[in-house]
Amino acid sequence: MPQSLTGRSFKALSEFVSTYGLLVVFVLVLALFTALRPSTFLSSGNIGNLLTSQSITALLAFAVMLPLTTGRFDMSVGYHIGLAHVLTIGLQVNAALPWPAAAAIVLVAGLAIGLVNGILVTRFRIDAFIATMGVGSLLYGISNWYTDGQQIPGFSLPDSFTGLTGFLNGVPVTALYVAVIGGLLWLVLERMPVGRSLYVIGSNARAAELSGINVANYVIGTFVGSGLLCALAGILLASILRAATPSVGPEYLLPAFAGVLLGATSIRPGRVNVPGTVLAVLVLAFSFSGVQQLGAAFYIEYFFNGGILILAVSLSVYAAIRRRKAAVSAST
Amino acid sequence: MTDPSPLLDVRGLTKRFYGSLALDRVSFSLARGEIHALVGENGAGKSTFIKILAGVYDADEGEIRLEGAPVEPRSRNLPLAFVHQDPALVDDLSVAENIAFIAGYPRRHGLIDWRGVQRQTSAIYETMRIPPIDPRRLVATLSTPEKAILNIVRTLAHTPKVLVLDEPTAALPEQDAHRLFDAMRRLREQGASIIYVSHRLHELFGLADRITVFRDGRNVHTGAMADITGGGIVEHMLGRAVELGHRGHPPPRREAPVLTVEGLVVDRRGPLDFTLRPGEVLGLVGLRGGGQEAVGRTLFGAKRAEAGTMTLAGRRLGADERIGERIAAGIVLLAGDRTGESTFPGMSLIENLFPNPLIRARSPFRLTSPAAERRQTRERLDRFDVRPRNEAALIDWLSGGNQQKVCLARWLEADARVVILEEPTAGVDIGAKIAIHRMLREAAAAGRAILVISSDLEEVATLCDRALVIDRGRAAGELSGSRLTVDGLIALSTLGGGATPPAPEGAAPASRAPDGAAATAFGG
Repeated sequence: MPQSLTGRSFKALSEFVSTYGLLVVFVLVLALFTALRPSTFLSSGNIGNLLTSQSITALLAFAVMLPLTTGRFDMSVGYHIGLAHVLTIGLQVNAALPWPAAAAIVLVAGLAIGLVNGILVTRFRIDAFIATMGVGSLLYGISNWYTDGQQIPGFSLPDSFTGLTGFLNGVPVTALYVAVIGGLLWLVLERMPVGRSLYVIGSNARAAELSGINVANYVIGTFVGSGLLCALAGILLASILRAATPSVGPEYLLPAFAGVLLGATSIRPGRVNVPGTVLAVLVLAFSFSGVQQLGAAFYIEYFFNGGILILAVSLSVYAAIRRRKAAVSAST
Repeated sequence: MTDPSPLLDVRGLTKRFYGSLALDRVSFSLARGEIHALVGENGAGKSTFIKILAGVYDADEGEIRLEGAPVEPRSRNLPLAFVHQDPALVDDLSVAENIAFIAGYPRRHGLIDWRGVQRQTSAIYETMRIPPIDPRRLVATLSTPEKAILNIVRTLAHTPKVLVLDEPTAALPEQDAHRLFDAMRRLREQGASIIYVSHRLHELFGLADRITVFRDGRNVHTGAMADITGGGIVEHMLGRAVELGHRGHPPPRREAPVLTVEGLVVDRRGPLDFTLRPGEVLGLVGLRGGGQEAVGRTLFGAKRAEAGTMTLAGRRLGADERIGERIAAGIVLLAGDRTGESTFPGMSLIENLFPNPLIRARSPFRLTSPAAERRQTRERLDRFDVRPRNEAALIDWLSGGNQQKVCLARWLEADARVVILEEPTAGVDIGAKIAIHRMLREAAAAGRAILVISSDLEEVATLCDRALVIDRGRAAGELSGSRLTVDGLIALSTLGGGATPPAPEGAAPASRAPDGAAATAFGG
């Protein structure tokens, strides 16, 4: 029957688009801008810079993604990376600590901040959005208090520290960190009981509780993971910038969220996931870079990030409706 | 069936979804002042039919006439009211407000008259002769039956010509269901026509005037209720003959109890004593507020006991144990609120069968094998006859009965000693119900101890070896063997242990004086 045939091929097509759509878009973006700016767009310099700077966004996107697996927003990540990079530079310059000690302190602080977020959300039952915004503002306050609002220049940082974000055989090292951490997170989320528990909590927390899952502990765990990732991203950011500016940080929040939410429309449609997030961050970075090379003004970035965020959420809502329609056809 | 001037006349209704036929030339007529039962298995097309009437879907072919005039597909101002199985109530608003945004807000000086809003609520409950609840209570604090009643009551508020009730009694205890039936009869006397969708066939006798049976998207039977038997209806639904009624279970093995409950007090109700043996299916029934749900939740660690002891296989259960520890000890619970507490929407059947792999795995960070999980899922889908048999399907795509089988498989296969089930067949079709009962008997035969907490008395009478009637947290009586009948359960739960019940088997031992609240008169 022609009707069922078109129905089936349409379903197969929409299945493919919803799974690999982002990959297709990525290839199209590369092809488009390479054609428009053949000499600069795919130059190793441009790619190296993009991958280095976008590694920070990718790590922050992972930090956003972890609590979001259980349906909780972490709005403190932007301020957190700001504080982490301020402390990483400040503890070396002001307190004369060796960089591994400074990094360790920043990681411990990140763990503690995540713990505070998690406890506020679970034990005190404050909405995650509100709790983490409050905590974020506190962190911003601490950054400015510690620096007195001034930039801390890092003149004599050791090579071992600035080398953290260098190049290895032409490959940006930060991209390798993202690959390793992304791989680990993928294993945890897709191949370990803990990942199943997190997604299950995100789907129906009450039913998860009645399946014997300790929801509060898992939620706290995701915020701690998020805190550690923010701290790591802050340490790497300090190594890239080689100076600490208390106003840096908040501008990372939106791209990180845009990456995670756009990523949730692909690979595992309907849920936040590691490959989708990485792909989305790459799509955003390369298309923005291409637009810049075509001569767009600096403020285009804000239109870009905001537009993508809205588009990403619209797409995922549309995907949800399509899936529900699939339900109708499967049950009748 | 000839019908001179039907109120609602549907002819040749056809609906396809992506090429598959959901409704196949369905004709249906609703007379003035009749209660017309609509039955059929899940997926037979009842929901699609009702959704077309409600204007959710457009029909591909066919016509709908109301009082002789064709109904335009897009005109939705029909005097039709719909009560759906899952109450569309706003949890954060009061009972009165939930009624007011259907029935309208009484006003004074142009502003909302809040006292009037509350009076309106009490008045509506009163005209339906349903015991009122405090109009100021938040809907979130209501029990499931209270919500179901509110859901129906507020639809009746604006006296529709045609009322469509889609399984309104699924969550209702027997007594509340009969209050609803009384209300339906009163509406019929006032000239209203009612389409009544139900899976509880025994309810229909003495209530419905006519019955229509759907099977595979077609109307396979319409006729007077007086001309058909329960077995006849089921034959039409399934297209084959079946055996209904008590199958005579093998007597439970004389083993030591796996579970002993002594002096249990929950929510200031009790004390309760009972034992459960391996291989036994024990029913807990009772009226609304009887406290039977709380007993199951306490055994499962989801609620705290105020007093008493629970002993599982010789080990006393600690009062502070959490659900995870109770599951590890061998007690599992299938929650009654399927969408709210059991299924994981947007997730696959694999994930719905194994939401917490830690039940079997030792460490949360141990690698799992997706291939093994897929194989185990397929095997369970086969054994529990789940359709579609596709482990990657989302749970949302399944019918209610199949969703319930998945949730059931989740817990029956968890190697538990004690399986607690709340309303195991609420809202599932007769085929799935028979299958679920068979699976539970098989699990019992394999040595599981099963505790069924159900408001479906027919189910308790057919499925269980023994039943306790719970009233205010105490056992008002116990029925077993040939004395375990629907009539016996109704008598014991509505009249309490002390009164003379009308049931043939006589009264169970009276433990206390009959209770005024429980001894409410009973219709039908």
